[in-house]
Amino acid sequence: MRRKDIILYCLLTIVVLGLMILGLFLGSVDIRSFDENSLYIIKHLRLPRVIMCVLSGAGLAVCGAAYQAIFRNPLSDPYTLGISSGAALGAATAIVLGLDVFFFSIGGFAFSFALLTVWIIIRISSVGNRLHITTLLLAGISINFLIAAIISIIMVVNQDSMDKIIFWTMGSLSGSKFSDIAIVFPFVLIGIIIIRIYARELNALLTGNDTARSLGVNVERTKKLILFFSTLMIGVIVSYCGVIGFVGLIVPHIIRLLVGSDNRRIIPFSIFGGMIFMLVADIISRTAIAPSELPIGSITAVVGAPFFIYLLYNAKKKLNQ
Amino acid sequence: MKEVINDIILEVNNVSYSVREKNIIEDISFTLEKGGFYSVIGTNGSGKTTLLRCISNSIQPTKGSVKVNNKLINKYTPKLLAHKISVVSQHSEFLFDFSSFQVVMMGRMAYQKLLQTDSEQDMTIVEQCMKKTNTWHLKDRSVKQLSGGELQRVMIARALAQQTPIILLDEPVSSLDIHHQFEIMELLTKINKENNTTIFIILHDLTLALKYSDQILALKDGRLIYFGKTKEILTQENIQELFNVRADIIDNKHIIIHNNESI
Repeated sequence: MRRKDIILYCLLTIVVLGLMILGLFLGSVDIRSFDENSLYIIKHLRLPRVIMCVLSGAGLAVCGAAYQAIFRNPLSDPYTLGISSGAALGAATAIVLGLDVFFFSIGGFAFSFALLTVWIIIRISSVGNRLHITTLLLAGISINFLIAAIISIIMVVNQDSMDKIIFWTMGSLSGSKFSDIAIVFPFVLIGIIIIRIYARELNALLTGNDTARSLGVNVERTKKLILFFSTLMIGVIVSYCGVIGFVGLIVPHIIRLLVGSDNRRIIPFSIFGGMIFMLVADIISRTAIAPSELPIGSITAVVGAPFFIYLLYNAKKKLNQ
Repeated sequence: MKEVINDIILEVNNVSYSVREKNIIEDISFTLEKGGFYSVIGTNGSGKTTLLRCISNSIQPTKGSVKVNNKLINKYTPKLLAHKISVVSQHSEFLFDFSSFQVVMMGRMAYQKLLQTDSEQDMTIVEQCMKKTNTWHLKDRSVKQLSGGELQRVMIARALAQQTPIILLDEPVSSLDIHHQFEIMELLTKINKENNTTIFIILHDLTLALKYSDQILALKDGRLIYFGKTKEILTQENIQELFNVRADIIDNKHIIIHNNESI
């Protein structure tokens, strides 16, 4: 590892810790003194929330980088491809069926539906052995439409579950508990490690399937493995944090501008980038209209959607293939 | 003429590839010898690229088999096959800004373990390959900013970094101007002579095929109709049969093509 990178990682760690501490003290209730009440809020409400923020940010950003390489599409992100929405539909289904009492059942449903979404968009957009870039995005966007419609129907039919379900469609970190973190953490950790291990293969995949194969990459196996673990991460993150869009789009792009296109550097730096982006978004969501809260998904979308349009505008020549 | 070229390195046996019952290539068999320079010619749609993709294991032949060093290519792991065969395609698309150096370094992937960083040896090999292809001065430039000729030289440097006894090239010069076409062909000849690398190249330009290759494979409608020494294959009658044009061959060096109607 380059010495310069180590210094950067240290600096980024300090920034992340600083923002986490800031996140502990900012919010609808002002922390003026360390009385029992404030300590309770910090320890049991804000600390798990801040940690969940960091976990989901890292996971979403790394997934975005992985999807961009696997689908060979700079506009890929768990949200733009409809995969997060698929996971949300899975979670909503589990709740409506009354399965949310079982440990892991929401996460399991979220993951299965997310994987099903991946399969569907690949089926729709494959032309021969290539993924058609424009069709891939259209497939993702149409799946988002479809799922939004299904979720609203589910909500209207099951009025009593509405509050629970609405949480998935907008994204929220407010209910995070330490027990949730204990589940999310290992999935995010394993996912990131696997994706980092295959970072060099992801570089090769960016140059196309045939080329990657001729360079010695086991293309099919690598793609399946990366898709499985990144989608697993998405399933778990969505089932605890809801749909938070565009993090996986914005962060790897900014990191790429800063450190270049090598995924061996993009992935570690995206971990920090995702953490910082989510911490800032979370702080804004809690302070902008305090004492009320904005859904965090709306904050990331306000930044992310224009960025998506900007990339689409820049890429339109290439998309026209 | 090169000496001792009777080691068979690649063997194609009765290979057919069909899509929806329609044969793209049909019952093709030939062998390549170590250190040979082979050009593949034929009209568009005659199956040249499909044949190349069967040899590089990008697609599985519907029938028949391909062997490298007497071992079926689908018995090789992807990594080990990448020690034997490297591929240069007509167009290389890059979504993001990789530097030329990074792209050539990708040629070393097949020799690296997961998570292993690029070793001193890899660095040295990449530097040598880039110097040989006259691309070392481009090492920090993004591959997206290179001209067509520069990019093809970088792609050839990557194939060299793979250190394979066989390089397959799919029309590497078709989108280049005449000067750069010769530059690439001279480079390939140098690699062929100095490293004894087997070159298997799809060419559109018959003059280039005549000037540079030892042997010619001629495809028509998915079948290998001629295979043999360049001068024996590139005759007026054969070119008429293959491309339906009239050709005059002057001094065994130049080919002048006429429309059938003219003259």
